[in-house]
Amino acid sequence: MALVSGPGRGEGIPDSELHSSKHVTYIKNLDTRKDELEYWLTEHLRLNGVYWGLTALHILGCPDTLPRDQTIDFVLSCQSDNGGFGAAPGHDAHMLYTVSAVQILITIDAVDELEKRGRGGKEKVGSFIANLQNADGSFMGDQWGETDTRFLYGALNALSLLRLMDLVDVPKAVAHIQSCENLDGAYGIRPGAESHAGQVFTCIGALAIAGRLDLVNKDRLGAWLSERQIESGGFNGRPEKLADACYSWWVGSSLAMIDRLHWIDGEKLAAFVLQCQDPDAGGFADRPGNMVDVYHTHFSLAGLSLLKFNGLEEIDAINSCMPKAITAKCLAG
Amino acid sequence: MAVPLRADDCDSMVAEHEYTIETLKKISELLSSNPEYYTAWNYRRQVLQYQFSQAEGSDDDAAAHSITELIMNDLHFLIPLLRSFPKCYWIWNYRLWLLDEARRLLPLPEAQQIWQQELALVGKMLTLDSRNFHGWGYRRFVVETLKELGTAEEARSMTQKEFEYAKKMIGANLSNFSAWHYRTKLIQSLLDEQSASDDDRRRMLDDELSLIHQAFIDPYDQSLWFYHQNLMCVFDPSMAERTMAPNLSSSDRLQYIRNEIEEIQEMLDGAEDCKYIYQALIECTLLASKVEGSLSSEDRDQILGWLSELKKLDPLRRERWLDFEKTL
Ligand SMILES: [Zn+2]
Repeated sequence: MALVSGPGRGEGIPDSELHSSKHVTYIKNLDTRKDELEYWLTEHLRLNGVYWGLTALHILGCPDTLPRDQTIDFVLSCQSDNGGFGAAPGHDAHMLYTVSAVQILITIDAVDELEKRGRGGKEKVGSFIANLQNADGSFMGDQWGETDTRFLYGALNALSLLRLMDLVDVPKAVAHIQSCENLDGAYGIRPGAESHAGQVFTCIGALAIAGRLDLVNKDRLGAWLSERQIESGGFNGRPEKLADACYSWWVGSSLAMIDRLHWIDGEKLAAFVLQCQDPDAGGFADRPGNMVDVYHTHFSLAGLSLLKFNGLEEIDAINSCMPKAITAKCLAG
Repeated sequence: MAVPLRADDCDSMVAEHEYTIETLKKISELLSSNPEYYTAWNYRRQVLQYQFSQAEGSDDDAAAHSITELIMNDLHFLIPLLRSFPKCYWIWNYRLWLLDEARRLLPLPEAQQIWQQELALVGKMLTLDSRNFHGWGYRRFVVETLKELGTAEEARSMTQKEFEYAKKMIGANLSNFSAWHYRTKLIQSLLDEQSASDDDRRRMLDDELSLIHQAFIDPYDQSLWFYHQNLMCVFDPSMAERTMAPNLSSSDRLQYIRNEIEEIQEMLDGAEDCKYIYQALIECTLLASKVEGSLSSEDRDQILGWLSELKKLDPLRRERWLDFEKTL
């Protein structure tokens, strides 16, 4: 899956229609653009790209568009001996890509391939993740030590999907998240850092998975999150910043997790997101007039699904940004 | 098409443990054309670690000298990359790793000097983009480390200087919430490090309140209201503990809140369409009732009045206001 941006741009004019078939074609064609310079420049996102494209296709109701065997081959080709996954074959293992690998394998029901053809079964993947937990409960992205609430969320997300949560110290992880809470009720990337909607998603998402949403000041956080909607209808990530289509997911799902999604104007949000789509060549951009890319395509569609937009499959707002039908099956019984 | 450079060369050189200056050069070329190629940053760490271990073989002075040179050269290499890609996580992370190596491997004065220069650099970066998320996070990290490396006295003066810095950034742009946020955190450290008395804390609180009242010349700026909300936590019995003045008496809290309500009400004159004013009035009044233990019918009527304005002024969040109405 290439992450080359374009070819088109978000149209930037009001459009009440979702051009679903164009988006399917757009995603399908991403991998045929290997001869573009940007294909190489985005190699560091290849495995994430498969997750974004695959999940977007599921939301669009075309789950079988990508060839399953080839997808499994590619995912397994990114695995390192330590059990973790890199962005592409030959890249070092990192939390961000390991999470995408798990999400993809769960989505296409292929976790057992880890045992058959991978470098050890799911326990091996789980131990790679568990080894990245620090003494204070936070998580590193890889052996070089960067710590960020994104990695903590990723760890709990992947481990819960693999049903291996007991490999890590969940109460300590929860305590770390609490230390990232600010007076405005929202969360930062590390203790002391400014609140940021992307980080709110990771912190609330982790608390949701840990079953500790009771620790959240829901009215205060809900107020902060709802203030992210600006006149254009879109969400920004912090006060006084521009709106961006991907925040329809980061902010929207955070609101959904604390039962406050109705605190914003869903119709205006959907209208903003639809203005970010290219009605001709497919795909979504971060904002109207900009180049489309698969990351914003996925999170725009996930945001629209959250708003129960007509014709889209339901997304799971709580357990993982994946089709609800799949997480329900995976996490049941 | 013209791919500027393939990674294959670097892959094989590192796989063969060729941790030479030649390999480092290749890696530099690769990263200059694509700094998101994160595996190459890891290659770079491996090569540098090898070079450090080689240098450590010589006597102490010579070792410190060569390691300093290696680190300084690498820090220089990163500058143009940070300028061109200020939002690339990997560059910032790599740079921090390098600085941590300086701390680990070099005598204290050399390490301190390197970290001190870093503060000047991040200052420049934040002048170019005053809300860069990485930039602010990075600054906090550099300051924390400098405080750890210095004496208690140096740490205190560092906090004071940062406080001045945040002030300067706010002065340059009142709607820079990143700087306001930093200010909140710095005030706490400043008071804690000075073992400030309750009176000192109260003086600081009074200064902050008059500062924010002056800043409210533009009541439509959301950043200012979030800072105001931070300040109001001082009067919230359930949050005061996390604020600059945790030990105010209930009657003091109440007095402060009533003053705030009066101040904010005056702001309505000429800004009747500013939703933030109504929100703050409601929040402060609820806070007063929290301190008092109950909501008077008079206050309740006031809140309902402001709420009806909000429902008109803030249709995006209409459901939020309706939910709130139900709780009254
Ligand atoms: Zn975005």
